[in-house]
Amino acid sequence: MTGKSNVTTQTRSSISARRRHSLRQYFAIDGGSGAHLLAALGGYSPYLRPVASPRHADLLIIVAPISQKLVPAIVEIAQALPQPAHVLLIHEPTGELAGSSEVTIVDSKTLFRDVRSITTSLAEEVFQAISDTAPWAELALKDSTVQDTETIQLPSKQEQEMATELVVLSLGPIQPFTAGPLRIFLICDGEQVLSAQVESGYAQRGISRAMMQTGWQQSLNLARSLDPLAPIAGQLAYVRAIEQIQNWQPSPPMVVLREAALALERARNQLWWLVRFMRLLADVQLGDRAYQLATSFETSLTQLWHLQPATWILPQWQGKIECNEPAIVQLKQLADAVEAFNTAIKRNRWFALRTRGIGVLPTLLLKDSDISDAVLQENELGKGDVLSRLVNCTLRAVTDLRNTANMLSNNVSPVAHTENWTLPGGEAQVTVAGLRGQIGLHLNSDGGEKPAHVEWQSLSASLLSLLPEILAGQKLADAEIILASLNLAMAEADG
Amino acid sequence: MNIILTVLLVWLGVCIGTYCIAVIQQLVLLGPRRVGAAFVLPISFALMLLQQENLVPRKADYFLFRSAPFIALVVVAMIALVVPLAPNLIGFNPSIGLFYFIVLLSPFVVALMNAGWSQNSKEGVFSTLRAAAHLISYEVPIGFAAIGPVMAAQSLSTQQIVQSQAGLWYVVWQPLGLVIYLVSSLFVTFRHPFDSPMGGSELEGGVFAEYSGTRLLLFKIVLDAMFLLLMSMGVLLFFGGWQGPILPPTLWFILKTLALAAIVLWIGRFLPRLRSDQMLTLCWKILLPASLLNITLVGILTLILPGGS
Repeated sequence: MTGKSNVTTQTRSSISARRRHSLRQYFAIDGGSGAHLLAALGGYSPYLRPVASPRHADLLIIVAPISQKLVPAIVEIAQALPQPAHVLLIHEPTGELAGSSEVTIVDSKTLFRDVRSITTSLAEEVFQAISDTAPWAELALKDSTVQDTETIQLPSKQEQEMATELVVLSLGPIQPFTAGPLRIFLICDGEQVLSAQVESGYAQRGISRAMMQTGWQQSLNLARSLDPLAPIAGQLAYVRAIEQIQNWQPSPPMVVLREAALALERARNQLWWLVRFMRLLADVQLGDRAYQLATSFETSLTQLWHLQPATWILPQWQGKIECNEPAIVQLKQLADAVEAFNTAIKRNRWFALRTRGIGVLPTLLLKDSDISDAVLQENELGKGDVLSRLVNCTLRAVTDLRNTANMLSNNVSPVAHTENWTLPGGEAQVTVAGLRGQIGLHLNSDGGEKPAHVEWQSLSASLLSLLPEILAGQKLADAEIILASLNLAMAEADG
Repeated sequence: MNIILTVLLVWLGVCIGTYCIAVIQQLVLLGPRRVGAAFVLPISFALMLLQQENLVPRKADYFLFRSAPFIALVVVAMIALVVPLAPNLIGFNPSIGLFYFIVLLSPFVVALMNAGWSQNSKEGVFSTLRAAAHLISYEVPIGFAAIGPVMAAQSLSTQQIVQSQAGLWYVVWQPLGLVIYLVSSLFVTFRHPFDSPMGGSELEGGVFAEYSGTRLLLFKIVLDAMFLLLMSMGVLLFFGGWQGPILPPTLWFILKTLALAAIVLWIGRFLPRLRSDQMLTLCWKILLPASLLNITLVGILTLILPGGS
């Protein structure tokens, strides 16, 4: 019996090794929370590769949440995969929306007959799930869904020297240029984009509405889910609003610690965005460097906090927060490495050839759209094109990393205090420095057990409205780069 | 019988060389730490695609869609015949071998255009038109770059061109021609950074977007084989072909070809994907005048240098 068991174990391990060395090409669908995970997965193993067309894939990876509006696109892609193919569902890596009945998302298991599903935010665990030797059912849809039959009316074309036909190219809703799904209809005259129509709402979950139906404490998870890539920003905005209503001020060391956690989250987002952007440009050298920076940062971050920020950014909570000294030193070293990377970008003439002078954000347009924070400042610093956005963004990551390292080195642990979820009636308007700019929250309390009114304001939504003007007149191949350079988080924009 | 055996031997050489190109490509992408993976991945990729379903899109041009990879394969097999691996190891040795080689590059791109056009998708049409624009643009400089060695050797025969480099490789006094030839080769095979008809994310995979299974595998093999053949022709034109001391001629030829391919692919690692109009600008405004300048210089040097006619 023991011998047989050993044989089975050996066979399984050899199969596992074989699976690990058999190539899987995957097409990824990001519902809004998977941008970092998919960027990490793209460089994790040479035996696991992302592809641009579902026809070339034998694996479909879907990262939840999935909105009702996104379902037809998922069905269409699943039908395009050649058999044999498999599907892997990754539920909310942060786990915030799991089990929340108030949020309007589709249970992805209802789309497919048999699926392998996991809950993780780590590329290693996804790779293990894919390499698992357990039986894995082939991709099969439960039922067909009505296809999207929307048509776009072409504008009348003016008389020109050469008569050509206009064509509408649909970019998305599943595309790698934004974090989460977004559809853009590009009306093209050959390689020239004449105009663009934006169709958002594919990552819509109704976070504000859901928060008004749940208690104060439960709403914290929903606030974290506003942008699953920046949960601390959402959490901190919510906690600050509550503390404002409670008329309570955190101690200066606590403020510093909160700012440090927020800055680290911004730096994390910027570094993973760099990875995605370099891959989009197919620059192998810079892409590899960006990937190394992002993974080094992840390692430092996991070692930094003894207690994760999610557990201590709570209303009126204060306690002893310890930081790992070697991890702080690593952050300083990482800041230097990111600065060197920034210099490499600025000196790379080939890179400039592809990014300079395109996608200029006119300052006047930004002011008209009430965008008056980091984006505007960065825009005024440079020429407002893709290259200057990239350089400024990298510099901001350097600043965030250095400031955080300094803040944490000099910080003194605050006095102990427990969290307080009791709220009187009142109103609060707070802003938090997010990745793209200020994230605003308007919170109303009537003294009850739930928020009376919740309203989020994000910069992604404001930038979305500018897209048609930015993309008009650009080359088709530049449209994707411009879109990617804005680093839009669709979950944040759609709410 | 002897000819048939030689032809089969040449094709076998191309198959092995194609695998080597795929390995080099993986090495360039993955770096030197993943040598094992670089050798395994091409086989793994082939096995994956062999098991996959061959899909044909709705309302596609059935004949063109299915025939395109086979047309490309036939073209590559025909081109391979005029590449001499050693003094007497050549499948077909016409007096106009180089002309035959360059002429057959056109049907190769036509096969790719068929593949894109027959898909019945907007992305396919866009990538087809990009491929067509590249074809028209890069046939000219690659032809002009090859004229330099022809002028020096006074022959279009690939064997003759190699033998005429016994004293001095043409790369020494025609470096500009080599650069033009290599850049144009990258274009013809749609290699990075000139792969916008194939790899642009906005076109979801471009010309091959709708291909799957064995047809996609065939296309990938053909592209690698074509790159190998262009690099081997580069070795014949500029690096003295099979000539070299101590080692057997065939081994010299293989080593030179793979080294040239590795260098070219490695340089591509440092460049982002160029836009279609930037590529055309590079061709018409830089490479074409440069290739004309190269011909003029080679003409003058051929008259001046001892041994020139």
